[in-house]
Amino acid sequence: MFRWVPLAIGLAVSACSIAAQAQQEQTIGAPPEASNMKLVGVSDLQARSAYQPTIHHQGDRWIAYIGHHGGTDDVPAPVNPMTGQAEPNGTSIVDVTDPAKPKYLRHLPGQEGKYESGGAQMVRVCDGKSLPKGDSNAVYMLRTFGGQAHEIWNVSDPASPVLITRIDGLKDTHKSWWECDTGIAFLVSGAPDWRTRRMTQVYDLSDPAHPQKIRDFGLPGQEPGSTGPVPTELHGPISTGPNGNRVFFGYGTNKGGILQIVDRDKLLNGPKEPTPDNLRFPEISRLPMSAFNGAHTTFPMLDMPVAEFAEDKDGKTRDIVMIVDEAILNECGEARQMVWFADVTTETRPMMISSYTVPEASGQFCQRGGRFGSHSANESMAPVYYKKMAFIAFFNAGVRALDIRDPYHPKEVGYFIPSITSATDKRCIPIEGGQRCKVAIQTNNVETDDRGYVYIVDRANTGLHILELTGSARAVAGLPKT
Amino acid sequence: MVIALGVSGVATYQLAPAPAEETARWREIAWPFPRDGWPSGRAFRCDGACAGTELYLRAKRGFCSCDRGVADDDEVDRVADIDLISPRFAAVAPGEEVGIGAMRGRARRYDLDRPDHTRHAALGIAVSRGCDLFVAAAQGSGGTGVMQRAVLVFLQTPEMKTWVTAALDGN
Repeated sequence: MFRWVPLAIGLAVSACSIAAQAQQEQTIGAPPEASNMKLVGVSDLQARSAYQPTIHHQGDRWIAYIGHHGGTDDVPAPVNPMTGQAEPNGTSIVDVTDPAKPKYLRHLPGQEGKYESGGAQMVRVCDGKSLPKGDSNAVYMLRTFGGQAHEIWNVSDPASPVLITRIDGLKDTHKSWWECDTGIAFLVSGAPDWRTRRMTQVYDLSDPAHPQKIRDFGLPGQEPGSTGPVPTELHGPISTGPNGNRVFFGYGTNKGGILQIVDRDKLLNGPKEPTPDNLRFPEISRLPMSAFNGAHTTFPMLDMPVAEFAEDKDGKTRDIVMIVDEAILNECGEARQMVWFADVTTETRPMMISSYTVPEASGQFCQRGGRFGSHSANESMAPVYYKKMAFIAFFNAGVRALDIRDPYHPKEVGYFIPSITSATDKRCIPIEGGQRCKVAIQTNNVETDDRGYVYIVDRANTGLHILELTGSARAVAGLPKT
Repeated sequence: MVIALGVSGVATYQLAPAPAEETARWREIAWPFPRDGWPSGRAFRCDGACAGTELYLRAKRGFCSCDRGVADDDEVDRVADIDLISPRFAAVAPGEEVGIGAMRGRARRYDLDRPDHTRHAALGIAVSRGCDLFVAAAQGSGGTGVMQRAVLVFLQTPEMKTWVTAALDGN
């Protein structure tokens, strides 16, 4: 008897461990996990790893332009069922006018390569009629072409894009910003002579057929010929245009993040030679973050009324920047990457005021496989959600809907974790003597449209999910009850 | 190679000398830098052939271009931890390709202006495995040629290769 009891306990513990493990990992056929968010429609995006979605109201249609990373080791160039050809990942163009029935229009191949090295991750879209020197009948899509180039395509017929321009010869690209009313573009590039993989090239793309370079920009120490430490590389900027006259640059991925606030007019019209003094000239201030966190997205929400401060004599409204870190290691192999809110009302003294993360224990996300942590936020400034709700892509924790009306106390009000499919790719970590792999959703990016639909895309090849808010989350945004 | 534990409990690694070369002995010391975004690594001080040289080693997981690896000298400037020793450093020459086991990357030599304004030679090495980096930074008053040879021989020892693999695995 004494010999059997410990064994029985051991077997029971072992069985419990296996059961818990099974609960942690997603399985094909299991329903999505959701709260106050509902699935409306799906596109498999030809099982291509997805980065930035941009939803454009184009005539009487709504078109989703979705950038892709490069292929995988197993499938470097997935077959496009529309052409029957193996095509390097590029840009998916999907008609989402009826979000319940997305119609895949075209796959536009990108640069050959795998993971971060190929594809066409980034995409922005402007109407020709809004650009000062654009063809008023055209719709222009700015996209990256792997790390090598930026391209502008005329997508007035989204099923038949026509290449207009290419800015070539770069060593990397990433999350660019394009002002549709001025044509000024802040292109995340890798100029060959700079000491960093990613920096800013400011272009006038008001006439997309004839790009005019304005200047190179980065942090002092990144410019050609400098010595000493190289500051954290750029991730992406967001401009408030000539009226706001600010550009918010985010540097870093999962470490050493910096929010840099820049005077747009000084950046465009100041001295342009990339000397340390000239690079410092347009800078208003920086908010250095912990060495543990990077700044993937720096989303400005200026002049926000804060209800809690309504009776105060001063400071009733605040200028807020939401900063989203990017998790990059699988199964919690790094410090937690999350969401931060900075009060930049006094621009030269920006201060972090609050943060948000998905509670790990709420889904045992460190054991599910793949990345857990934030990656990006929606960047639409359409009134439907702006300064009220933010949507955060949180990798294996899906998308998270935050009530940000009081940015000092952001509150989660909904979430959606899609089901995995047979297309969902594995994510592995090294273990002694080999690798251990798990399959999990990897919600990578999120965007919203003016109608209030939420578009999430998956890094692990699970495609596009179109969502809508339900329940109490709709009230936060002021949407009518369904 | 002989491994002996000193009275303080830290290991001393004595490298078998190549013909006509003085022995280099590496003694482990405490990691001398404050916490930053990367987990601390291991530090060593050399006696013998590279006497006075200090070596700092650590893995940087998820910090590399997964396909290209350490493609150029700028990458070594950015990642090799030379800035931990001093923020004032300048490369003295183009780097060169190096390997540690199956990992490939680059090494570059630097002139270092230390906080006490003494000038030191420094060496930065960065090699990659997939999306991960292993970096080495060394400093000393001797020649960087001797320093580089001694560091690379040390990193090729079975014990160090085992540790490097474990560090890159996150252990």
